[in-house]
Amino acid sequence: MHTLKLLAALFRLNVQLALAYRADTIVNILLNLMWLGWELLSLSIIFSNTESLGGWGFGELIALLGVFRLVNMLMITLVWPNTEKFNQSIRDGSMDYTILLPANSMFLVTFSRITIWRFWDLLLAIILIVIGINTAGDITTPLSILTFILLTVSGAIIIYSLWIVLMALTFWFTKFDNNVTILQALMDAGRYPVTVYPVWLRIIVTFVIPIAVATNVPLQALRGDLNIGRILMFISIGVASFLIASQVWKRGLKQYSGASS
Amino acid sequence: MFLIFQRLWQVNWAEQWQYRANLIMYLLYWLVSPIIYLAVWTSIANSKGDVNGFTANDFITYYMTLLIVDQITSNIIIHTFAYKIQDGTLSGELIKPIHPMLTNALVNNIAFKGLTISGLIPIWILLFFVFRPDFSSVTLNGILLSIPAMLLGFFIGYLLSATITALAFWTTRVYSVHEFFYALILLFSGQFVPLALMPRIIQDIAQFLPFQFLIYFPIQLILGNLSTTQITQGFVTAIIWLVISLTLFTWTWRNGVRRFSAVGA
Repeated sequence: MHTLKLLAALFRLNVQLALAYRADTIVNILLNLMWLGWELLSLSIIFSNTESLGGWGFGELIALLGVFRLVNMLMITLVWPNTEKFNQSIRDGSMDYTILLPANSMFLVTFSRITIWRFWDLLLAIILIVIGINTAGDITTPLSILTFILLTVSGAIIIYSLWIVLMALTFWFTKFDNNVTILQALMDAGRYPVTVYPVWLRIIVTFVIPIAVATNVPLQALRGDLNIGRILMFISIGVASFLIASQVWKRGLKQYSGASS
Repeated sequence: MFLIFQRLWQVNWAEQWQYRANLIMYLLYWLVSPIIYLAVWTSIANSKGDVNGFTANDFITYYMTLLIVDQITSNIIIHTFAYKIQDGTLSGELIKPIHPMLTNALVNNIAFKGLTISGLIPIWILLFFVFRPDFSSVTLNGILLSIPAMLLGFFIGYLLSATITALAFWTTRVYSVHEFFYALILLFSGQFVPLALMPRIIQDIAQFLPFQFLIYFPIQLILGNLSTTQITQGFVTAIIWLVISLTLFTWTWRNGVRRFSAVGA
């Protein structure tokens, strides 16, 4: 209850911040629509030359774009703005004030900055997923939709956990400014089915920076590519990575010594 | 004049050299999308034999050449200059008797390029052994012709980006304008896919736009895919665009500086 109230307060604060820049918000939304147009155009160019990409059809790639945009939204609403603030706070020692607050520090570091206008991406992503699945004509049941949602959430948690670990490493190596660049760099690999990549790239985006797990796996479940064992495995990886990340965070926090001491 | 450029080079090289680690990250960031496009298109070409006449090897050589051409013709002026106009630090450069954008910032861009290219070479060789492209269509003539083409491409791109950067004299939303400009580059330069595979209408428009000189035209020259008429036509269009972008830039800069009143002045 306490956490929810805190989240609501942070959310309100960020809405107020965003309202100060209304024109920027409109420009950003227009640019976002432009990129959506580009993404759809590039998919249609690909599919004007082929019927399937790595075994996936046009509709499935539109749905994949939707899931990709969800994960990307997580990156833009939370990961980027908060990393920027966090790195700064480690360098100048203002992290002290965050730790002093009577709330979970990992929670505060995650949610203190929120890029509000990006929430409209959620709507866009859902529309893309629904249209994509309908075009693809895959058979969906309430159960497969539930699995899809669970796997999407667990994929997002895996990416989130990786982010927390990368940030926690900053406690050890103070000048680790590039902590999330690698995550950001490989993001684009989540747009296409991993089956088209050469093996080494597939290994990187599956095991090292699991962008592909976050975007590909939920749709594989909808396509019926995954058996129940695999589904349970991916969900438990999500839970496990969250637990590991919060442990690493706690250890890292103990390393933190402020900027002046 | 030569001495000024020499000094500027020393300063800017030393400045860029400090950020070696950032540079590796920048390279990694920038490498990912061409490699993904390469993977996507070769997988289609392999499954069908060819895509409108493009074989898997055509795509591999195209994107492998793109890695080099893009690195030579692109620039980072918006990121290194726009903020100077916004926060007023430009005033310090304006009192120097040299043009800030056409000397210091230009040399800074070239120093950055020098470093990224030296970082790219080992990666490129590695990728060469991974993808094993067959570059047998490349001729010495093509490479020699591509050098002036890439220079033209770089200066056209640099002047256009500098024009957009100079819009910072009028608007704070210059980064959004630049994002739009970047989308135009993606659409018309051949970055995503060889222009010949784009929809007819985009190809027709791209012919008259400057963006092909950043990517497509130099690549086609290197790979020896152009006829003599196409080459002449390309160079003539490029020179016209160089003049246009130089005019655009001079006009914007002159009027912008007149409007400029630094913070605190």
